[in-house]
Amino acid sequence: MTPRRAATLVAAGALVVGLGWLMFSFLERRLSAPTPDAEPVAPVAETPAAVGPHIAAMLYFVSEDGTLLEGRSMDVPLRDSPAAQARALIEAQLAATPPEPLTRAVPEGVSVRGVFLTGRDDAYVDLDGTFVSALPGGSHNELMATYAIVSVLTTNLTPVARVQILIDGREVETLTGHVDLREPLRKNEGLIRVP
Amino acid sequence: MLLCVALTLAVAGTAPVAQGPSPAPITIVSPQGRRSLTVTTVNGGDYLSLDDVAAALGLTLRDDRVTGTTTVAAGGRSAVLTPERNVVSAQGRLVSLAAPPLRQDGRLVVTPEFVTRVVGVLLDRRVDFRRAGRLFVIGDLRVPRVVVRGEFAASAAQVTFEIAPATEPTVTRTGSELVVTFAADAVDAAVPTVPANPLLQGIRQGDGASLVLATGPRFQSHRATVQPIDAGTTRLVIDLLAAGAETLTPAAPAPPPPAPPAAGAGDPGPAPSLPPPGGFRTIVIDPGHGGEANGTEGPGGTLEKTVTLQVSRRLKALLEGRLGLRVILTREDDRTLDQDARAAIGNNNRADLFVSIHANAAVRPTVKGAEVYYLSVDRASLESRRAIQQPDEPLPQLGGGTRAIELILWETAQLRHLEQSATFAALIESALRGKVEMSPRPVQQAPFRVLVGANMPAVLVEIGYLSNPDEEKALTSAAHQDKVALAVFEAIAAFRGRLEKPAQ
Repeated sequence: MTPRRAATLVAAGALVVGLGWLMFSFLERRLSAPTPDAEPVAPVAETPAAVGPHIAAMLYFVSEDGTLLEGRSMDVPLRDSPAAQARALIEAQLAATPPEPLTRAVPEGVSVRGVFLTGRDDAYVDLDGTFVSALPGGSHNELMATYAIVSVLTTNLTPVARVQILIDGREVETLTGHVDLREPLRKNEGLIRVP
Repeated sequence: MLLCVALTLAVAGTAPVAQGPSPAPITIVSPQGRRSLTVTTVNGGDYLSLDDVAAALGLTLRDDRVTGTTTVAAGGRSAVLTPERNVVSAQGRLVSLAAPPLRQDGRLVVTPEFVTRVVGVLLDRRVDFRRAGRLFVIGDLRVPRVVVRGEFAASAAQVTFEIAPATEPTVTRTGSELVVTFAADAVDAAVPTVPANPLLQGIRQGDGASLVLATGPRFQSHRATVQPIDAGTTRLVIDLLAAGAETLTPAAPAPPPPAPPAAGAGDPGPAPSLPPPGGFRTIVIDPGHGGEANGTEGPGGTLEKTVTLQVSRRLKALLEGRLGLRVILTREDDRTLDQDARAAIGNNNRADLFVSIHANAAVRPTVKGAEVYYLSVDRASLESRRAIQQPDEPLPQLGGGTRAIELILWETAQLRHLEQSATFAALIESALRGKVEMSPRPVQQAPFRVLVGANMPAVLVEIGYLSNPDEEKALTSAAHQDKVALAVFEAIAAFRGRLEKPAQ
């Protein structure tokens, strides 16, 4: 290949890439720009539920008056085993943006280390230490966070009757000094607002 | 009176020993003797080499390269584990573990939970893990739990050992050391760190069932006093004296008097006038959190641990001054205290009531009002309910014969008092309602850890929401704190009145 031919090919390639970038930028602006008559979009769980099959699951948030948990149906990805479904539910609960006027029951930025089911109707939810460090204290906050996790599994997965929260792979006594986490907990209907 | 610096050294049964690069070893105590196991920290948790455990307990290990499993066997019993899997098959029964066995540097490591739950099945013997003393206790051995506390002044120091179940201690002086030997197979005690002082350099585990006090340069003599606290607990007090020094407390008569309910760590002394024995006489007030545990924090920077201590002190003054009750605070100052230790102070002092004082927080700053909690029974299994209904256990006593000993599992201690706890919670709610704002849900049940082991009516009072700016301001004011303390005082007085009311 002669030097002139090589230079021509490089220039042509650069032109194609540049045109592609311009087209992509234009389309991105068009697609993301709000239109004046657009309907407000209801907040949904920030999960990849929109892709692939999903289930409508009840996720839990703090009620408008701040005193109880309140359930909202949201899309959660369908998984092919109870354990995988349990993990998907916990991930959705942790990631979900609460619909107005509700607020988060669990701290932000918490990672799921594992979710395990036993043959005795128990589930173990292993969360990273952020679940403790980002919790601002107070027994009320601790009850809300704990029972949001307990409720999302006991409500949406029939075989699960009790849930134990582990932190960084270890059993803990409490999160911030109140709720006994040394054994699995059952759902507490008294903490959940009836619609 | 000496100006004392009172320090709680450590409490057996406190949170697990802090994890560091070189965690303290764990000791296996069995009828065959003692064996120390090296501990490795993995993901912040304690792990033991399975080879070490097997060698110490006579287990055989067999790896199956095809399935990737390891079989652990002893005496015809076996368990199959898979690294990284939380579920272990032990004698055909699945055991779910909080943390799985792992491969670490080419060897299998397991958690203490694996030893208690899986190895116990293989040995067909009870295996207890005593977290405070970092002991595995195999079989029926005498291993008392020892809570060690200390107070230090310039010319005197006092170290207190509370021993449960009651076990006879002996103190001998060997050179510059005092050796406390317990009539037991081993001792379950967290060895505390001693602050710098001229009388005591440190405390360490001794051989067998003993603890060793390394005395300091100013130490000259000691005095040891043994007092029974109740049927299940003995207290040993050792005064360390410098030349010409006064003791921290008046000398105890010798021989010791017959078991009066003994003071706890926070007991400042006798109440003005005690009611006759057998009546309603002792209250334990638990100021929530403390030390490293701040609890929640208000938007103005108010710490929960500070407010709870202030209110608790006001309540104590009211109860002592007006009712003449013996009142013990689980903590008198800003110190970290384990949840079990709080209930233990109530149990060891045979308290008639346990009141834990807390301040709350919610994500919405508008949430406000006081709440009263008693223990929810969600966690109580049928087995544990049956356990609390078991008859007293006849145990042999010194000099022949037997004595019926009331056996109560720690985990079920509160269950037998739930009805009275509910009554007491309602009385507090009623008294608070006239004085402070109440939450829309003023009386609730919850599985609160601090209430589980209290062997007496027990409640947790949330005196308001620090996350609410108005309530934060109120909770820091003396006038509001007095209102809260007065309401709880009135509820206690009303509760006492109900208990002591003669039958109609």
